[in-house]
Amino acid sequence: MKISAAIKPLGCAALAAVVALTSAFTLGAVLRREATRDSRQQPEVERWLDSGTPTSAALVAHGRTLFLDSCAHCHGADARGDEGPDLHDVQVSDRYIGNIITHGIPHEMPSFSKKLGAPEITALIAYVRSLK
Amino acid sequence: MDSAYWAKAHGAATHFPFALTLVSGALDATGFALAGRPVVRDLHAAGYWTMLLGALGAVPAVASGLLMTQGSLLGHGALRLHHLFVWPAFALLVALATWRVSVGRRSTRPMFAGYLLAVALAAGLMSVAGYWGGEMMVAR
Repeated sequence: MKISAAIKPLGCAALAAVVALTSAFTLGAVLRREATRDSRQQPEVERWLDSGTPTSAALVAHGRTLFLDSCAHCHGADARGDEGPDLHDVQVSDRYIGNIITHGIPHEMPSFSKKLGAPEITALIAYVRSLK
Repeated sequence: MDSAYWAKAHGAATHFPFALTLVSGALDATGFALAGRPVVRDLHAAGYWTMLLGALGAVPAVASGLLMTQGSLLGHGALRLHHLFVWPAFALLVALATWRVSVGRRSTRPMFAGYLLAVALAAGLMSVAGYWGGEMMVAR
């Protein structure tokens, strides 16, 4: 087999691999965008009954520092979403946010129960609440 | 449909490309080793079709995985490790099947030896990806 004849199938193979990966990544991006949109849940009764996390400018600032350390690489430095969803104006209770931070989401988000204690999680909730 | 459904679908779909690639590699390697004997043609024909079906089977496996994880392309922890091996394996599997179709029976022996090495690499990548996928199922 001549070299030129040998290169053509290799080119076809490389092209097919690129097309396959591009298609998969495009599907992934579409699904992620849909999931992000779905994560902006409607207000629930629990939210209205929840007394809410006491907040202050200092607590929000502390929460922002923690966010930049532990969360920004997935949710983006501006919390507008990257690999993880946009955290602005989340319509869920403080308790729900705390549970997600503590326990994580299987296959999607790690648990921070070992890294963050209750005061840190309270600060993070206050910061997330401040995002409008 | 929720991710629990897609988790089951992914678990079912993902074994086909893995098994078919392994069988394809074994058939072609046997044919390669027995060069010149009458059975070689049949072994390579079976290797050809199992590789083709393996690559086609990778499409629903990948699609169900993406649906299960809501489009996560990398993720964290075991999922990240799973993906680090899955994406090269998927690309390599599609490339191998395409090369096989393009070349037909016109391949030289050294080229086919290279192909067999690449099949072994793809099988290895899929094995490690499968291991991390299994770890995630155990962690549930």
